[in-house]
Amino acid sequence: MIQKKVCMVGVFGTGKTSLVQQYVHTKFTDKYHSTVGVKIDRKVVNVDGTDITLVLWDLAGRDPQQDVGSSYLKGAHGVIYVGDGTRRETVSELDDLLRVATAAAGPVPSVTAINKIDLTEQWALTPEDYQALVKRGGLFRTSAKTGEGVEAMFLQLARFLTVPKAGA
Amino acid sequence: MADVTAASRASDVPRGTGAEATLTPPSVPLVDGAPVPLAPSAAAGSATPAADPRTVELAELRRLLLGAEQARLDEHDRRIRDNEMSPEHLASRLPEAIVLRAGQDKQLARALAPTVEAAISESVRRKPGEFADAIFPVLGPAIRKAIAETMAELVGSINRAMQHSFSARGLSWRIESWRTGVPYAQVVIKHALVYRVEQVFLVHRETGLLLAQAHPPHLEVPDADLVSGMLTAIRDFVGDSFAGEKEVGGLRTFSVGELTVMVEQGPRALLAAVVRGQAPESYVRRLQETIEGVHAQFASVLADFDGDTAQFGPVQPLLEDCLVTVLATDAPAGTKVNTTPYLIALGAVVVLTLAWSTWQTMRWSRVIGALRATPGIVVMESQRGWRTHTVRGLRDPDAIPPNALFASAGYDSVRVEQQWEPYLSLEPSLVLKRVQRRLGAPQPGTPTYSLRGDTVVVGGAIDAAWLARVARRTGWPAGVATADVRSAEPIVPASLAAVADSMTSVRVLFAAGSSELDGAARSAIRSAARQARQVAVALAADGVVATVTLAGRADVTGTEATNAALSRERADRVRGALDAALRDGAAKGPVVRFDPRGLGTAEPIAAGDSVARARLNRSVSFGIRLVIDALSGARPQ
Repeated sequence: MIQKKVCMVGVFGTGKTSLVQQYVHTKFTDKYHSTVGVKIDRKVVNVDGTDITLVLWDLAGRDPQQDVGSSYLKGAHGVIYVGDGTRRETVSELDDLLRVATAAAGPVPSVTAINKIDLTEQWALTPEDYQALVKRGGLFRTSAKTGEGVEAMFLQLARFLTVPKAGA
Repeated sequence: MADVTAASRASDVPRGTGAEATLTPPSVPLVDGAPVPLAPSAAAGSATPAADPRTVELAELRRLLLGAEQARLDEHDRRIRDNEMSPEHLASRLPEAIVLRAGQDKQLARALAPTVEAAISESVRRKPGEFADAIFPVLGPAIRKAIAETMAELVGSINRAMQHSFSARGLSWRIESWRTGVPYAQVVIKHALVYRVEQVFLVHRETGLLLAQAHPPHLEVPDADLVSGMLTAIRDFVGDSFAGEKEVGGLRTFSVGELTVMVEQGPRALLAAVVRGQAPESYVRRLQETIEGVHAQFASVLADFDGDTAQFGPVQPLLEDCLVTVLATDAPAGTKVNTTPYLIALGAVVVLTLAWSTWQTMRWSRVIGALRATPGIVVMESQRGWRTHTVRGLRDPDAIPPNALFASAGYDSVRVEQQWEPYLSLEPSLVLKRVQRRLGAPQPGTPTYSLRGDTVVVGGAIDAAWLARVARRTGWPAGVATADVRSAEPIVPASLAAVADSMTSVRVLFAAGSSELDGAARSAIRSAARQARQVAVALAADGVVATVTLAGRADVTGTEATNAALSRERADRVRGALDAALRDGAAKGPVVRFDPRGLGTAEPIAAGDSVARARLNRSVSFGIRLVIDALSGARPQ
C-alpha cells in the first residue's frame, strides 16, 4: 500500500477542515471551528488502478500572531494550499506559505485551492490576482459547501504523488 | 512543485529502460558458450585427401561459389546434431547445469516442484516404510518439541484456571462476568493484568506514515493510520513546545487513562507501543532492541522510503514479538497469594480428622474393653480398620454373644469380622449356667445356685424328689465336683401336692379337757393315714424320707401347764392311732416318721368367734416334713 502525507496549509478560516470533511466524509457544516494544532484524516484514492492512501494533515490556520507549524510540514509528500476567494489577503499570503512549506518539506508536489466559489457575490479576487495564481500551476476553484472541484483537486494531487520521484 | 515531479518522471523512465536493455544478451549463436567458427568448411576441406587435384579444384570451386551458403549449411547441420544431445553427454553436464541455473533464478525449483511432489507422493504410496525410516530422525524431535510446547501451554493454562477457579477472588470474578455479560476470560485479564501491549506501531519518523503495526488477535484497535499520524503530530507539537530548537529525544512516554504509549525512536523510524497497565523497564529495552533491529535490517528501505509500505512486510514478526501480555498469576514470585483461608480450612480438616479418629479409637477400645470384661470371652487380637474391623479370640459357648455388645456400641456387626475359637471357661457364672442347663428346672421350686470351690450350693424351696436326684448326682460339668443341697428346703412334688394338701387339712377334734378319740376322730385319722402312706411310698422311691408332724393344741381354758400336757397327750394319742392305721393291712409299712408336739395354746388356729375358736383349737392337725435321704444317711433300697 502506498501512503502519502499531505498537508493542508492556509490562513485561518479559508476552509481547510471543510475541504477535508467534504472530501473524506462528504459533509459540510456552516459552523466554524478553528483547528487547534493539527487534525489527521485519511482517504484512499485510486489512481490509474493503484490505491494510494492520502494521510491528510489538516494544519491549524495561520494567523498574524502564529506561524503555521513547520514541524507538521516535515516529511510531507504533497501540500494543498488553500485560499479564500472572498478574502483577498488569504490569497496573497499563499506566496509566503509556499516559502515556509518548501523550507520545511522541500520542493514537493502541490495544488492550490481557491475556496468558497459558491459565494460569488462576495468574490474579492481581481483578474490579475487570478492570473498570478494560474501561473503557479495546479490551481483549482473549489467549494467545500457544494463539493465542486474538491474531488478533482485531491485526485490531481494524488496523480502528482504517484509519479516516480527523481533520486532520493 | 508539480513541474519538478514531472521532470523527474521524464528522466526516470528512459534510464530504467536503458538498464534493462543492457542486460539482455545479444542474439549471437552460442554452443557451450563459445562462438561458432564462421568457416568450418576450410578445416573440413583440408582434412580430405589431396591426391586428386580435380577433387581439390572442385572443392575450391565449390568454396568460391557457395562459400557463405556452405558455412550456413554446415552450421545448421551442427545445430541439428547438437540438439540431439546424447544421454551420456547430458549426464556428464547435468549437475553443473542444475547448479548454474539454480544460482541464476528460481525457475528450476518452480519447474521441478510438481515433479518432486509427485515423486514423493508416489514413493510414500509405494514404500511407506522406507519413507518413514528416512524421515524418522527429523520427525521424532519435531513431534517431541511440539508435544512439549503444547503440554507446557496446557499446564500453564490449567494452573491459571485452577488458581482462579478455586479462590474467593475467582468466584467474585465469575459473578462479575455473569452480571456484566463480559466473558470470564476477559474479566480475569482485566483484574489479573500486570500489563498488556495492545498495539505496536512502526512509524516513519519524518512523514509520520505507518510502516507496519501489530496487535493481538481478537483485540479491537483504532485506525492505525490515524493514530500513527496523530502520534507524530503530538511528538512534533511537544518537540516544538518544550524542546525548543534542538530536538533532544522527543516524546518518550505519555498516558491516556489506563493506557500508556511508549515511544522508542531511531534515526528514521520510531516504535510506539500502546500498553495497558504498567510495563517494566525491561520492556523498554526490548523496544529499543527492536527499533535497532529494524534500522539494521531495513536501513536502505527506510532511507529511500517514499510511501510504499509493502517493503516492510518482513518487519511484522519483529513487531509481534513486542506484543506481550503479563498476568499477575504468571509471575513466579513477588505476587503473594493470601493463603490464610486455605490454612484455616486445612487446620479445621486436620483437627476434625484427628477428633474423629480419636473418638473412633476410644469407641473401639471401649467395646474391646467390654468384650475383655465379658465372662467367657478372651480377646487375643483386635484391629480397627478404616471401614471394617477385626477381632480374634476365644469364646465360651455360654458367653453372651459379642454381636450384642458391638450393636450396643454402635457398630454394624457386618463391619466387624470376628473369629472366635470355642473353649470352656471356669468363670463361676458360666459354670453355674452350665449346671443350671444340665439340671433342668424342678417342679415346683426356683433353685438358687452358687459355687463354693467345686461345690454347687443349691438353695430355695424345691421339689424334694428333684433335690434328692441332685444330691445323688455324680456326672457334673467341668468345674463342679459335687452339689450341696442342705440349705435348700425340700417340698412336696407337684404330683403329690393334692394328696398332701388334703392330709394337712384334716383336723382331729377333741372334747374339752379330753384326749379321747371318738368315732369322727378315728375316721379322720384313717383318712390321713391313707394319704400319708401314698406320699411316703411315692417319695421313698426317690430317697426322700417323709416325716408326719402332729401339732396338738388346747383351748385357752385351764392353766398353761395343763394345756401343754393335754395338747401333748392328744398328739401322742393320734400318733398311736395313725401308726396303727398305717401298719394295718401291710406286712411292712412305709418308713414314715412321726413328730408329735404339744403346742398348748401357742400358734392358735384363728376363727370367727371364741366358741368356734375353742373347738378348733381342741385338736391335732397334720403336716409333712421331708428330708433328703442321702443327707440323713439312711438310704432306702
